[in-house]
Amino acid sequence: MRLKVKDELFDEPSCEHNIKKKEKKGCKTASPGSSSGGCAFDGAYIVLNPIKDALHIVHGPINCLGDSYNQRTSESSGKDVYFKFGLATAMNENDLVFGSENKLKDGVIFAVNKFKPKGVFIYNTCVPALTGEDIEGVAKELTSMLGIPVVPVISQGFSGSKNLGNKIAGDALFNHVIGKKEPDIDILSDYNINLIGEYNIKGELLYIKKALSDNGINVLSTITGNSRMEEIMYSHKAGLNVVICSKALVYLARKMKEKYGLPFIEESFFGLSATNTSLMHIAENFHDDKLINRVKKYITARTKNTQNELEVYRRFLSGKKVLLYTGGVKSWSLLSALNDLGMHVVATGVKKSTEEDKDRIKEFDKNGNVIMLDNGNPVNLIKTIKEENIDILLAGGRNQYTALKSLIPFLDVNQERLFPYTSYEGIVNLGKLIYFELKSPLFDFLKSNFLKKAS
Amino acid sequence: MKPSNLKPLGLKPLEINPLKASPHLGAALFYLGIKNAVVLMHGSQGCASFDKVTLTKHFRENIPIMTTALDESGAILGGSEFLKSGVKNIIEKIKPEFIGITSTGLTEVNGEDIGSSIKELKQEVGQFPGVNLGYVSAPDYAGVMEDGYKNAMLSLIKDLAEKMRKNLIVLKDKNRGTNLKVNVFCPFSFTSMDFLELREVFEYFGIFPVMIPDLGTSLDGHLDKNGYLQTTSGGVEFNDIESIFFNDCNIVIGCSLFGLVEPLKNLTGLKTYYFSNISGLKNTDAFFDFLSKLTFAPVPEKYKRQRNQLMDAYLDSHFYFLGKNIAMALGIDLLDEFSAVFNEIDCGLKIGITTKTDQNIKKNIKNMFEIFDEGDIDLLDELTFDTGGIDLLISNSNAKYYAEKLGIPLFKAGFPIIDELGHNFKHFILYKGSANLAYEAGNKLINGV
Repeated sequence: MRLKVKDELFDEPSCEHNIKKKEKKGCKTASPGSSSGGCAFDGAYIVLNPIKDALHIVHGPINCLGDSYNQRTSESSGKDVYFKFGLATAMNENDLVFGSENKLKDGVIFAVNKFKPKGVFIYNTCVPALTGEDIEGVAKELTSMLGIPVVPVISQGFSGSKNLGNKIAGDALFNHVIGKKEPDIDILSDYNINLIGEYNIKGELLYIKKALSDNGINVLSTITGNSRMEEIMYSHKAGLNVVICSKALVYLARKMKEKYGLPFIEESFFGLSATNTSLMHIAENFHDDKLINRVKKYITARTKNTQNELEVYRRFLSGKKVLLYTGGVKSWSLLSALNDLGMHVVATGVKKSTEEDKDRIKEFDKNGNVIMLDNGNPVNLIKTIKEENIDILLAGGRNQYTALKSLIPFLDVNQERLFPYTSYEGIVNLGKLIYFELKSPLFDFLKSNFLKKAS
Repeated sequence: MKPSNLKPLGLKPLEINPLKASPHLGAALFYLGIKNAVVLMHGSQGCASFDKVTLTKHFRENIPIMTTALDESGAILGGSEFLKSGVKNIIEKIKPEFIGITSTGLTEVNGEDIGSSIKELKQEVGQFPGVNLGYVSAPDYAGVMEDGYKNAMLSLIKDLAEKMRKNLIVLKDKNRGTNLKVNVFCPFSFTSMDFLELREVFEYFGIFPVMIPDLGTSLDGHLDKNGYLQTTSGGVEFNDIESIFFNDCNIVIGCSLFGLVEPLKNLTGLKTYYFSNISGLKNTDAFFDFLSKLTFAPVPEKYKRQRNQLMDAYLDSHFYFLGKNIAMALGIDLLDEFSAVFNEIDCGLKIGITTKTDQNIKKNIKNMFEIFDEGDIDLLDELTFDTGGIDLLISNSNAKYYAEKLGIPLFKAGFPIIDELGHNFKHFILYKGSANLAYEAGNKLINGV
């Protein structure tokens, strides 16, 4: 049994909390009595769940899975897709008294017989972690018994936040999945990359893949949007890891670099300029003039087309004020996308951002005076919106009703977003949605008719 | 795999697409029906986050659930300091009138003495007038959402009864007039619209209902003149809950709350009436007869008309139910409610799946179904493996896959419903709600999707 997560997972050189405290304890963002994000289990499940031909079995009482499964908006194609199924051992009082390692074993065997998956992930949660169940032992035994990888994910919620859980998931992939298989020679092209941290929310992966394949760049594996076990097993054979908008999974890329010599870059596909830069960076990493020239031409053509499509939205959105409140990396990657739309980002949330993220924010801040919001509680958000005369709040689902109840226009830019926002097609989607949300007379109509009379 | 190779139903070693949710989710829902309230979950941050996310998606409302955010040291050495500072932070920052605290699996299993922490907290909170605490033990590994809801209800009434015994509750509203005032306890399976319509029935009879909790005025989705609030923006006033002892009687509705009847009678000393459900013609008749006798008043014209409308709805829709079979995977209250209506239309109730419940409660409902079992939604897969023969599935959003696989329409009901708008505006009880149910289910059968 291992109650503590590895110290290595807290080793985040670019995190300001580490620099200041001189001790590698990572970030504890939640304080008692606050409303917080998810726990380590939540974070691990989010990262691994899109692997579609694996089963994801949660070992613990019902709440960890039962209160919230089947809600992510990752999309996938193909037939043997298992992430529509929420599986849990749903420990009861008997299991506490007599132990439930055998129940877990029986459960995995039952589910593997029923679904015939290509792999199984077992998630540890708070209660079995405290009662000291050895899920690593169970996983090891089952791997040799069932002949498929059974991966223990040591993700009890009390270890830390969602972000830590992301890393724990990366660690599980690195230790138990990556490097376990070699790819067929005919699926490799001249330029093979992995996309890390892309979960195919609303089908975003399709847009990214299109831009890449138009240039002859082959996505060998995606970690983990719309992915299969096999592609992750041979992902070490790619020529480049591209980490997309994820600080947490840089950990995985770094480990892969150490072991397989696989270089990595951190990129974003939100917005026109970011997509262009990312494509260019990927091409440059292959040191191939033919590819670089092809990408240059491609970028010129797509940029022109996209700008034409955006023209009508840009004209309207130009100078409109935005408050962007979203997690770490997106605080600058979306900022860049909003710049493409000509919008003025007055404030951006930096609660989960690293020092490096903050530097990037400054880099993209056109006016040089963006407010970095450290305190994202709803009351503070509303205050900033009113004081700065902000036109629209772009944030995640948990702030949707903060905005709506105060009659403030809103767009979800986190995982509950309604359309894909990545790549060339995505920025047009984003521009269009913000355009219609801001153009809508509904908010003013309600303000003048409701608030007056209701008071 | 043939079903014969499977273990006996209900004995599966794991849940596949669970129907049940945890007790602290139910407890949180209870507290959310109290005005100016905040829920505090004592556990790791995920416990609160999962519940908050699901409730937010289901109700499309702000859900004020906070966490004590236990970390490794708290989990292993005990988290009473986390709990205390959580409560203090909430009082300082949000100033709610009520804080509903629940435990979680984590804080139950690490052997922490939450009871005495709560006792100390209550004394400390005494310094903040106008803040009240409620606490319920809600370990994830024992019971289901219905249990958490019921236990939170009972534990609050117990606390107040104790306060009453010590003469600490005084009746504030002395000019009560001659109107009857009744305490109404409803299950969380009622939609917000159900709560609001039921309230109106009481009001038509000239009765003032104290609904505990009131998920109608708190979660119906309304714009508050103050804009965004950090607490619940509606619900039953804490003062009204405190003064239930001075009211005329208790009315308990919903079979999952059957266990409350005796304790409520003893704790409040009031006459306590119980209705398993108030759906379908017969059951709604019984309910209106009861109100009529209670108030010595005739049934209002409005409801007499709705009664006639319901009978017409049965006639219009019954063709589409002829020879049809329904499968339901729902909480026990909705199974009970819905089967009352479908029985009257005479539609085949082939499969009923529900979560773990009291054998006594189960008895009545069990007989209505051809096959009845406790379990997960995936039981449908096993039960329909070679029989098929189901024309309509009624369950929550998580059953989507099974309806697609069987090629039959899914009528969404229960919890959670995250992929449909306005579920809280639906209404399935009393005369009008039963007619709605017959029409909506009938439409699903007409359209086949």
